[in-house]
Amino acid sequence: MSQSLPTPKIQPYGDAAVLLSYGVEGFSDAASQAVLSLSQHFKAQSGWTDIVCGYDSIMGTFDPQVMRLGAAVNRFQLAAQSVDTLDSIAAVTVDIPVHYGSEHGPDMNAIMDASGLSEAGVIDAHAAQTYRVCMMGFVPGFTFLSPAPKALHHPRHDTPRLSVPAGSIGIAGWQTGIYGLSSPGGWQIIGRTEASIFDINRSPIFLLKAGDNLRFVPQR
Amino acid sequence: MIEVLQSGSSTTLQDAGRPGHRDRGIPASGAADRLSFGLANFMVGNDWDAPALECTLGGLHLRVLDDTVMAIAGAEMWAQVNGQNVTNFTSFPVTKGDILTLSFARKGVRAYIAIKGGFRAAPVMGSVSTYTLAGLGGIEGRALRIGDRLEASVKGTSGPQKIPPGYRPYLSNHVILRARPGPEFDALTADSRRHLFISPFFATPQTDRMGARLRGDKIVMSRPSSMVSSPLLPGTLQAPPDGQPILALVDGHCTGGYARALQVIRADHWLMGQIGPETQLSFRRAMDVEAANVLHYRNAFYSRLMPGFKF
Repeated sequence: MSQSLPTPKIQPYGDAAVLLSYGVEGFSDAASQAVLSLSQHFKAQSGWTDIVCGYDSIMGTFDPQVMRLGAAVNRFQLAAQSVDTLDSIAAVTVDIPVHYGSEHGPDMNAIMDASGLSEAGVIDAHAAQTYRVCMMGFVPGFTFLSPAPKALHHPRHDTPRLSVPAGSIGIAGWQTGIYGLSSPGGWQIIGRTEASIFDINRSPIFLLKAGDNLRFVPQR
Repeated sequence: MIEVLQSGSSTTLQDAGRPGHRDRGIPASGAADRLSFGLANFMVGNDWDAPALECTLGGLHLRVLDDTVMAIAGAEMWAQVNGQNVTNFTSFPVTKGDILTLSFARKGVRAYIAIKGGFRAAPVMGSVSTYTLAGLGGIEGRALRIGDRLEASVKGTSGPQKIPPGYRPYLSNHVILRARPGPEFDALTADSRRHLFISPFFATPQTDRMGARLRGDKIVMSRPSSMVSSPLLPGTLQAPPDGQPILALVDGHCTGGYARALQVIRADHWLMGQIGPETQLSFRRAMDVEAANVLHYRNAFYSRLMPGFKF
């Protein structure tokens, strides 16, 4: 790990969950990797009903009839102390085809203006790097990725759109991600994928999970 | 089988929910008031977690298409069969052609209608619970509509008819929830921390299964800070910058970016299902030992009536 990891805060979250948070400003690759390693570690244990990652935090929920709050906090403390020795997450790489710009990316012009790049330049910059799926959530299948290249960082819309189509790929500050299903949203939309992140009629239902690597493949 | 003559403001099929998928953004859903839901099933002799209808605020009219037994628990809604009152604490037989009507809720907001055998639907990820945002479960993932027909599963055994008096939950139009300080409680102003436990709040019309937007004293952080998205649970009271807190409910988002001011204790989650527009609510600080003890004894008490029941 390149960056040093701050000491995490571990605390009860109500009476049936425990929360670990590194409390970093913005994005920390080291914190995100640590959270994903912890997630893999806890998911292999019994006793947890949900293990959910944030960018720099992780929550475990449990049945208080099965595990006591104090024991849950202890488990988190023990794992956090030896996070360096945990296996890093076994990542698979998923390619996501993207139609950038035009009707698929209504905010492409805003990103071009702000970055001074051509459309091809924005596409090259956005699709050049391999991202990590840091967390999923908010709504089903919403995929939060590691940061976009600096030139593309852009604030959210002041007023969210009432409906952003499923598969839309957006930018919000340093964040980039994919809308798993149609929902209201304030992100700057630069493209869309036909790949469905979330499909209950498919097995597996989810195309992605936290810890996966992801590459955007521009479509003509 | 039953047929929907009027669907009310929002009626969905629910069971005990689909826990375990929050890491992909899927909330557990399920009956918002788990206790009343379980008791409705108990009265018709079902397992406590058999699929039942959750009727919000009333306005539901059903035609019964087969002779069977039904029961209602939860919000008090002036329920009638062919114009004759039925109560929330006793199951009642219905015959083909009967019409069951639920009028406006007087106390509480969600009533549960159970049928002998339980309603039948195709499970999605292990549950028939309706989660309308993603179109999961229930009937095509949506609330009931006029003309929908729901079948009951193969008839269950005939069960007890009445809820014993000591087991009847007391609903009031002022909901008191016991809560623990949330992860960002200490980041709130001193006034906000005090107001949380002494001030009453009202749920605004922006209240549904996802959350309740509250009106009352402003709850704000001492220093406005932009949090990165982090996990969120039902029962979390969030404090957005405008100072109007939001209580996450059974279909609430799995991650969020606002300060988590309070967390309602598990034993009181069922009561959050009875929060609707204009419900008055207040929070009372619970000690962690108290939260564990209350849950333990409440689980033991109700599982005597409903084997396997857990809050």
